Amino acid sequence: MDPPSSDPYQPSASGDHPRSSSSGSSWNYSVDNSNQNAAYYDPQRDVSVSGSTQNVTNGVPHVIQPVMGTTNATNTYAHYSNSVQPGYNAAQYPSYYYPQSANSSSVQQGVNQSSGAVYQPLTSFQNSGSYVGPTSNTYYNAGADQTAPGYATNNYYYQNNAWAGGSSGDIHAQTYQTYTPSDTNAVQSSTSLPTNSIHYHQQYNQWSHYYDQSAQNSGGIAVSGSSASDTKAGSAGSGYAYPSTQPPPPGTTQWKGDGVAPTAPPPQAAGSSGFQSQHINQVPGAPGFQSQHLNQAPCAPGFQNQHVTQAPGAPRFQNHQVNPEPGAPGFENHYTNQASAVPVFQNQYVNQASACQQSSANYSQLSLSNQADQQKPLHAQGFPMAIPKVEKKNLVADSSLKPAYVGVSMPKNDVKAAQDGNGATMEASIPVSLCTYVERNLARSKDDAQRSAAKSILKEIIMKATADGTLHTKNWDIEPLLALPENVTGTNMTSTLKDPNPFSFSTSRRSPSRRTKSRWEPVAEEKVTDKVEMVSKDSAKSNVSSTWETAKRPGNSWDLGKCLQSRQAPLSQWNQGPYKKQRIGANSNLTKNGNASSDSDKEQDLTKYYASAIALNNSPEEKKRREHRSKRFERGQGASSKSRSSIPQKDGIANVYARRAMSMVLNRSNGDGASLAVEDLDWDALTIKGTCQEIEKQYLRLTSAPDPATVRPEDVLEKALHMVETSEKNYFYKCDQLKSIRQDLTVQRIQNELTVKVYETHARLALQAGDLSEYNQCQSQLKRLYGEGIQGCHLEFSAYNLLCVMLHSNNKRDLLSSMASLSKEDKLDESVKHALAVHSAVSSGNYVMFFKLYKQAPGLSSCLMDLYVERMRFEAIKCMSKSYRPTVPVRYAARILGFTRVDEVCEAKVADGLEECTEWLKAHGAVLSVDNNNGELQIDTKVSSTSLYMPEPDNAVSHGDASLAVDDFLARAS
Amino acid sequence: MAAYLSMGEAHRRINDYLSRLSDAISDSDGAALASLLAVSSAPASTPLSDALAAFPDFARLASDRFPHLSDFLPQLLRAIHSHSTRRFSDAYSSFEKAASAFLQEFRNWETPWAMEAMHTVALEIRLLAEKADRELAMSGKNPDKLQAAGSFLMKVFGALAVKGPKRVGALYVTCQLFKIYFRLGTVNLCRSVIRSIETARNFDFEDFPVKDKVTYMYYTGRLEVFNENFLVADQKLTYALVHCNPQSESNLRKILKFLIPVKLSIGVLPSRALLEKYNLIEYADIVTSLTRGDLRLLKQALDTHEDQLLKSGVYLVLEKLELQVYRRLVKKIHIIQRQKEPAKAHQIKLDVLVKTLRWLGIQMDVDEVECIMACLIYKNLIKGYFAHKSKVLVLSKQDPFPKLNGKPI
Repeated sequence: MDPPSSDPYQPSASGDHPRSSSSGSSWNYSVDNSNQNAAYYDPQRDVSVSGSTQNVTNGVPHVIQPVMGTTNATNTYAHYSNSVQPGYNAAQYPSYYYPQSANSSSVQQGVNQSSGAVYQPLTSFQNSGSYVGPTSNTYYNAGADQTAPGYATNNYYYQNNAWAGGSSGDIHAQTYQTYTPSDTNAVQSSTSLPTNSIHYHQQYNQWSHYYDQSAQNSGGIAVSGSSASDTKAGSAGSGYAYPSTQPPPPGTTQWKGDGVAPTAPPPQAAGSSGFQSQHINQVPGAPGFQSQHLNQAPCAPGFQNQHVTQAPGAPRFQNHQVNPEPGAPGFENHYTNQASAVPVFQNQYVNQASACQQSSANYSQLSLSNQADQQKPLHAQGFPMAIPKVEKKNLVADSSLKPAYVGVSMPKNDVKAAQDGNGATMEASIPVSLCTYVERNLARSKDDAQRSAAKSILKEIIMKATADGTLHTKNWDIEPLLALPENVTGTNMTSTLKDPNPFSFSTSRRSPSRRTKSRWEPVAEEKVTDKVEMVSKDSAKSNVSSTWETAKRPGNSWDLGKCLQSRQAPLSQWNQGPYKKQRIGANSNLTKNGNASSDSDKEQDLTKYYASAIALNNSPEEKKRREHRSKRFERGQGASSKSRSSIPQKDGIANVYARRAMSMVLNRSNGDGASLAVEDLDWDALTIKGTCQEIEKQYLRLTSAPDPATVRPEDVLEKALHMVETSEKNYFYKCDQLKSIRQDLTVQRIQNELTVKVYETHARLALQAGDLSEYNQCQSQLKRLYGEGIQGCHLEFSAYNLLCVMLHSNNKRDLLSSMASLSKEDKLDESVKHALAVHSAVSSGNYVMFFKLYKQAPGLSSCLMDLYVERMRFEAIKCMSKSYRPTVPVRYAARILGFTRVDEVCEAKVADGLEECTEWLKAHGAVLSVDNNNGELQIDTKVSSTSLYMPEPDNAVSHGDASLAVDDFLARAS
Repeated sequence: MAAYLSMGEAHRRINDYLSRLSDAISDSDGAALASLLAVSSAPASTPLSDALAAFPDFARLASDRFPHLSDFLPQLLRAIHSHSTRRFSDAYSSFEKAASAFLQEFRNWETPWAMEAMHTVALEIRLLAEKADRELAMSGKNPDKLQAAGSFLMKVFGALAVKGPKRVGALYVTCQLFKIYFRLGTVNLCRSVIRSIETARNFDFEDFPVKDKVTYMYYTGRLEVFNENFLVADQKLTYALVHCNPQSESNLRKILKFLIPVKLSIGVLPSRALLEKYNLIEYADIVTSLTRGDLRLLKQALDTHEDQLLKSGVYLVLEKLELQVYRRLVKKIHIIQRQKEPAKAHQIKLDVLVKTLRWLGIQMDVDEVECIMACLIYKNLIKGYFAHKSKVLVLSKQDPFPKLNGKPI
């Protein structure tokens, strides 16, 4: 990746949306990774499907700030009104999953196109943040998906795209997913909210791509090397799982249990339930550094955060974390990963983890946080020193430049700050993190007045912390920064705009009760980072940190193995939304590993846990907020359910359903799920949406639920149909292909013109090949499809149907009903008229007419008639031999019986026909003689009338289907 | 609208009905019971239905008073009430439950005293199902009640088609089943019932009631028409016609509607008077075309009544009359030729036939006409042979146009 050329890292905007319980906010990020470097996120795609009424108001808060290179830090605060609180029920969580559509290479795919990662938070955690940093190419369909009603989670979606290593193909979209598992808010408010856990289900398939790519790229960046080493160390020491699978250069680090931020107890608690955060740092060979952090918050209790940070081309890797200042109303963790191709070669990661300490913790490592326990593991991971330094620098710079909550790495960071930060770490008496925290806060202040004010506030905070004994226990790194006057923000914004580097942050504050989402907007335009505000930070913090510690271990329960597993079977994990549960009722597969233990139970436990943890925050104000939030939560449930019911109407959402359903099905097939009564299935919900892009696919009768990865979506099926139509290959190949197309159509329940076209095509091919059984299948389907009013060659096929019934099934009642179903207009149609004429010829035994019609048959009627010709000829010859005396010229019989054309001019053909007719007559026992006068061959009718017989078909096989004969099949197939 | 009823009066009427029902059962009075079970034939407003409307708690009343009939009476009252308020789907559902209870009891009764009531139940359930299906179809729902009634009647049939005195009532149920199956278009389901009826060795078919036998023969005859077994169809339909109540003209017409095409196909033509008497005028032109050999008229007649004939299922039968019309035409030519030129009366030139057909407006080339003639000979409609070289149809000197004599083509 060329740093310069490559684009700046596009920071994904992280927005924290508080979601009302009912409404999920959806984020659509469209990323254009292409050279332009711009990543687009559409915040608006938020479909708060549910009509997330509540959220909407708050949702707005996304502030998008493009960060211009000059000033690194952009602080955007999105303020969420406190009123909006993400409450959700587990039930309300929609499970998302994102199927990855295709290749990572298809970076440019629009968001919508991407099959979208499906994101399913399994558990209902109020503060679950989800990151979807799906595919490199990321499309984020998620809009719909995420918006799932009732899901109040923070989605952090970081995509860093823009690393094009020169060629678009090389572009790796970075997906930065930061996931803040627990919001401080949640904690605070959490009494009502059971747990803050977030589930991320991400498909890991993508990652494999990343890895590969990263490996390739890894060519020679020092950074990469270092990171790799780091990852290793980290994995060993900290109990983070590093996927060893990845090629060494691109170190992939998985962090487990990191997610717990001191402030966010819930994740920790969840940790017991299994919190996993995976950080995958990939350092591609490119100058840039890419790190992917994947935090996954797995099923219910636990959540996985995947942070994927890819900092491609930039020579330097910088991770900036911005720790929100305590003073700030909201707590915000920003992870900003910026990999900027910028000449400066700084990659800034802005990780915004709203209240999520996970992310903060994770990043805190990078950054500088020296909190003892937490940081140790981090250090153990051994990121190359260079990186941490950079990070520190960035942090410092950020803090200095940015308003609270936004950590922006300035390419030009104060070296001093970094150094200071480093020095600070050494200090024993005062936690380094605190020093940096103070520095950050002070750095943010633009003028003396602010500075002095900040100082006084910080003093108070420190005093208080000392008094509480939380001075050392508190994670200052994640402490929210102090609030700054608005004007500061404004300046920052402008500066960010100016910043040559595309990365931008927006920071939004949240009230504690809310949940934040981060949105990444295209660099050029805006980034919005929503942050979670921490309320009553001080009191909460200490608790949080402690809880974090405890929770950590359990959090590690997710191991790499699972991740890998999840990669392999991406969908299997994703299922579980409570949402599904509701819909499907009995479905128990909500939790992945059979953790079916109901979410609610866990939630309750967590709630208790948190309640105690949060007990400190019992200011009346806070109580009030909590109440408010819990109310909203309740409302949200109702609303979400409503919205749900309305959802299916929308396509996008329907997709969501489909995915969920599919995932559910997959789970079932994987044995994860509990048994489900068939009648309880909502087939609409079970309809899958395929993601397979292969045009060619072999038919295989399904023995299990369809895997969307192997099912082709409609547009691909269209191509496949075209391919079959234009293919030169034989019928067996085409039939196989068409059957697979039909299967894909069926499993996706696509019934439209394309379906009709496929069946018509197959029916025609089957007719041409004389494959009557396959034809009948198609015909019956076509009958139904036409009956539903779908346009097609209706008359052509009703003619075929007539012919088939009269010639092959010989069922008078069917024929009667078929004929009765024809309208007057239908009977004017050429092919229908022909078919009716054939009927009358057959019923009266008019073989002359039959063979005339045979020659004139429109379309493929002749193919159907072909199958009857033999019988008709035999009937005719019997008739002729009985009624004609003394002889019938073979020439005449050949003409009448369709061996030669009536109007045939070419003697050679006539001769051929004659010969064929002669052979046929002989084969059927006719006695031929030669006319004494003109030497013509003639049939001796009197003798023949008793000697005629129907020979056994030459190609008859014991099982009755010649096409099944192996030799024949091989011969034809070859 | 029903006049206002006091609760007492309503109570009294319901009790009266229940008492009569109970008495009929205890007295083994099948006829009385049957009359009490006739739900669908009741007018919209009867004293009982009014009482039921005025006394909503009738179900409890019934079950309290006759606990041993608690699975029968309340449902029956509900069915009567729903029917009187024109909620046929509900009425059917309730009645089916009542009928199931009744059937259960019926199985336990050793004597067939309640046969009449059982038949009423079978009839009622079919009629109610038809009404319910109309109602369901009107409201856009899936009309599946008639099918359910079919299933229920199969159970009834199972209870009746056993050795013993109850078997005599089986044919009635069979006929109800036929009616359902024909209406639903699932005539293939008739086969098992027919087999059960016709293969029974211990019960002579003639011992069934005449009305059931006629109905049975009518339906099985129709089935044979579908199968183009004209001889069997003729036999069955003729039986029905002969045994049918001569007063019941509509039934006679129904039988004739199928019997006439069958007779035509075996060469028996009805009189014009018969067609007019039973308003079967759609066959008139066909009969005329057969007598005249007027191929054009046949085609016209078939076209004109195509929908009707397709619907009743005799179109294909009539279509096959074409060859007979050809035969008649050839016969006429032969007669004329015999008068003009007795020596060559047996040789009909193909040209003549082609010209004749052209005159009738039928455009056929020589090959086709030749083929038709060959077919006529092949199917024994004409005796003779065709000389291809000279293009001459040579008729047999003896009986060139043999009568079908009841033989199908």
